[in-house]
Amino acid sequence: MGILLFISVLLVAACGLIYELVAGTLASYLVGDSVFQFSTIIGTYLFAMGIGSALSRYLNRGLVYRFVWIELLLGVIGGFSSAVLMMAFAFTQGFEMILYALVIVMGVLVGLEIPLLMRIVRDRYEFRDVIAHVLTFDYLGALGASLLFPILLVPRLGLVRSAMLFGLVNAGVALWTTYLFSTQLSGTRTLRIACVVVLCGLGLGMAEARRITATAEDNIYADDIIFARDTRYQHLVLTRFKDDLRLFLNSHLQFSSRDEYRYHEALIHPGLAAVPAPRRVLVLGGGDGLAVREILKYTQIESITLVDLDPEMTKLFSTHPMLTQLNDKSFLSSRVHIINADAFPWVDSNTDSFDFIVIDFPDPTNYSLGKLYTTAFYRAAARHLSAQGMLVVQSTSPMFARDSFWCIAQTLKQAGLQTYPYHVYVPSFGEWGFVLASTHEYTPPVLLPNGLRFINVEGLPALFQFPPDMAPLPVPPNQLNSQVLVRMYENDWKDISH
Amino acid sequence: MKVGRRNFLRAGSAALVGLSLKTDRPIAGSFVNDSFQMGHLLRDRASFPAPKRIEKFPVVIIGGGIAGLSAAWRFRKRGFTDFVLLEMNPQAGGNARWGENEITAYPWAAHYVPVPGPKTEYVRELFEDLGVLKNGQWEERNLCFAPQERLFLYGRWQDGIEPAIGLAQKDHDQFQHLEDLFAKFRASGEFTIPVELGRSSKFQELDRLSFSDWLQQQGCDSGLVNWYMNYACRDDYGALAKDTSAWAGVHYFSSREAEEKGPLTWPEGNGWITRRLLERVGENVRTNEMVHRITETKRGISVFAGDAEFQSEFVIFAAPTFLGPYLIEGFPRLHDFVYSPWLTANLTLERLPDSRGAEPTWDTVFLDSPTLGYVDATHQSLRTHIERTIWTFYWALAEGAPAQNRQLLLDKDWTYWKEAILHDLERVHSDIRQCVSRIDIMRMGHAMIRPAIGSVFSEERRRLTRRNTRLLFANSDLSSISIFEEAQYHGVLAAQTVLDHLHGHR
Repeated sequence: MGILLFISVLLVAACGLIYELVAGTLASYLVGDSVFQFSTIIGTYLFAMGIGSALSRYLNRGLVYRFVWIELLLGVIGGFSSAVLMMAFAFTQGFEMILYALVIVMGVLVGLEIPLLMRIVRDRYEFRDVIAHVLTFDYLGALGASLLFPILLVPRLGLVRSAMLFGLVNAGVALWTTYLFSTQLSGTRTLRIACVVVLCGLGLGMAEARRITATAEDNIYADDIIFARDTRYQHLVLTRFKDDLRLFLNSHLQFSSRDEYRYHEALIHPGLAAVPAPRRVLVLGGGDGLAVREILKYTQIESITLVDLDPEMTKLFSTHPMLTQLNDKSFLSSRVHIINADAFPWVDSNTDSFDFIVIDFPDPTNYSLGKLYTTAFYRAAARHLSAQGMLVVQSTSPMFARDSFWCIAQTLKQAGLQTYPYHVYVPSFGEWGFVLASTHEYTPPVLLPNGLRFINVEGLPALFQFPPDMAPLPVPPNQLNSQVLVRMYENDWKDISH
Repeated sequence: MKVGRRNFLRAGSAALVGLSLKTDRPIAGSFVNDSFQMGHLLRDRASFPAPKRIEKFPVVIIGGGIAGLSAAWRFRKRGFTDFVLLEMNPQAGGNARWGENEITAYPWAAHYVPVPGPKTEYVRELFEDLGVLKNGQWEERNLCFAPQERLFLYGRWQDGIEPAIGLAQKDHDQFQHLEDLFAKFRASGEFTIPVELGRSSKFQELDRLSFSDWLQQQGCDSGLVNWYMNYACRDDYGALAKDTSAWAGVHYFSSREAEEKGPLTWPEGNGWITRRLLERVGENVRTNEMVHRITETKRGISVFAGDAEFQSEFVIFAAPTFLGPYLIEGFPRLHDFVYSPWLTANLTLERLPDSRGAEPTWDTVFLDSPTLGYVDATHQSLRTHIERTIWTFYWALAEGAPAQNRQLLLDKDWTYWKEAILHDLERVHSDIRQCVSRIDIMRMGHAMIRPAIGSVFSEERRRLTRRNTRLLFANSDLSSISIFEEAQYHGVLAAQTVLDHLHGHR
């Protein structure tokens, strides 16, 4: 009996540590700052164990009976802790409160276990043997759990099922105890039924864990993920909620199908409609084909060259039915030529001239992208402009990133161009800005293609008006050797997000 | 399959610590561009063939580094083409040599030029010629892109190389004190580039003590201050502060205005300048031409290289000065010319190491490393997406005597240096062995002149700077500071002096 008893000590200790690790890991995953999460969770947990140990002195009779119930409770609470926490994060505001409440309850229960066990076996052994054996197996269990957790459990089972597995172990120990100590127990039948119920519940949980995780994750990402891929160049995620398709590149929203027409009409028409007899257009970036869809509305345009880094992106938007519906199969037009290349070297080495150039890159979130917002790049791009040509740059938000927006305008100016900044409201983005640039005077167009939903001739002049809270700021231009824009952009967004 | 207990244990314990998943890449590479064999032929006075043919040029330039190429550039720019430049190595460039593979071009030695100040007239003229300076504006693409430099210290990264985090008040005060002192030295106008244009005997006493003694005199005992001062000396002079003339140490910090926009750099470092110069003067350059004797004759001066005798009126000696006693008949032994041994390595990376939140920079330095860190050759690339790259790793063997370190360079094999380099990088990039696929190593016994104590104002050096002879020395050794601007200055000046003589004769 001795060794069996001590093995249950080992298992119980392992369970206790696993719940603690699950809580710490989940909190780090979901909230971040792993040092803080692990420190506070371990501290709280150990403190709660102390409370449990202190409370153990008030349990006087029916120690085995109480131990079995503690194991069952711990099996249920610990076993479902991970699932509960994921749901709590996905569906409630009170993740932290639930986290620490769970940690305290589990800690108290775990704290009760060892004192109770010691007292249960104290009559069988000498005191010093009880202490030595129980603690030895307690620490061994902790070692086993701490090694199993990162090496096997998390990679193989995931957090939800790992917790449940150890819930099963707890319930198993409870059931086992009813046999080990059957002589000291009355009402073993009820206890065993309870054990079986808990075991079944946890077993079911294991089987359904995938659905629990999926439910929680769906809610964390708000919408259904219908496509996700790590390409060589970026992390591409497409989500759908009812009729709203959204594209995220490296977690940055690129468009929402509900209002992207506002963005893309604003990107193209104020500039392109003002170019007399445009024939050749260049799009840099814009691998979603939505800007090209707008450009194709000009029947006199003979050729559209699109340069986008990522072939998987342009392929996706040439083939995926939902996406080709969104971009009107723009990439399948015979007027469109797709080139998958890095924009700056391409612009440098190509010698063609264009009547309209669209520069639609992701925001300057790092120094690599920052190169595409420099005087050097705009000078190189402007060399491709025909005499009457215009160039337009997506320029982030003049509201949320006011310095960055005016820095882009200033950079274009520094590159020797006349600039005409404007802005529109795109619900999923907020206020968004663009800068038109050319080597000649710009006057807004008086004629636009038919069928536009947002841009109209009457409304155009208003787009070029900036209210005081978005008005120009004196900022330096962005250059390869300074890259002030990247830092500016980081600061701008830091102020309004966290 | 039977698994022995030992194997099982080994595999098991490896799996436990997670090592079994990582595999180091096999690393290829070798020593490259070795040139000491040729140097040793000269040193050991090997017998060279008697001349079989005679060629006549009014001017012969010896050495195809920046000084020699700059002399050639000046000649051709002034319309004088009747000269030949003899380079010992298969590739011209000297300390501005470069390499290239399918990933990028990369430097073998010097990799930048600070934005030249107003006194550096010839460098500005060159950069105007090369399109780097246009209408008073520096070409943005040739200025080092941001972010430029980072230092790894206390397990984290900081911007810039001068230690800025974890400074005690004392460190801070001493940095400030030195900055104030250097500002005064700068204002004195004595510490200029080129050195020759500012230097008078005013601060000559600084040349009589070491930079580290001088720092001590200023009360600088901070470890960080001393690390930084030593880093500067190792980086520019290949020497520790205790082996550097205080005059040269002060010059490093007092000769340039603080400017934000520089330096100028290219993927292949100063190799880019070499390439542009070769486009302009290449037809006068002969490589693999090892000069083995220079003799003054009654009518002129003869240069013997291979099986040819080049009879000329003037010779511009743009090779390192230490070769003089071995080449020039009747040339005295030199005492004041000390050279620092270096090692550079080019590492091919199949991917970048995990950056732990720090964006890669152009130049990366580690605190308290004996090496100088590395420079990323694709930093000046215009691409946004870079997977593979080349790092040029710099290591001035400054600790100990130069002669011993030269011997060490010769004695140790490629594997030894490869491991030493990886050990250094591993302290910061723990996954470096999974990234690197090739390490080529260039050993340079006499990589650069060292401004040793007493050498800046040495009489020997002053004698060699005389320009009223048929044999003109032109190299950065004359300045005791091995930088691009000095080499170019002496090259151009020697060429101009020769032109004046030739025109005077006619």
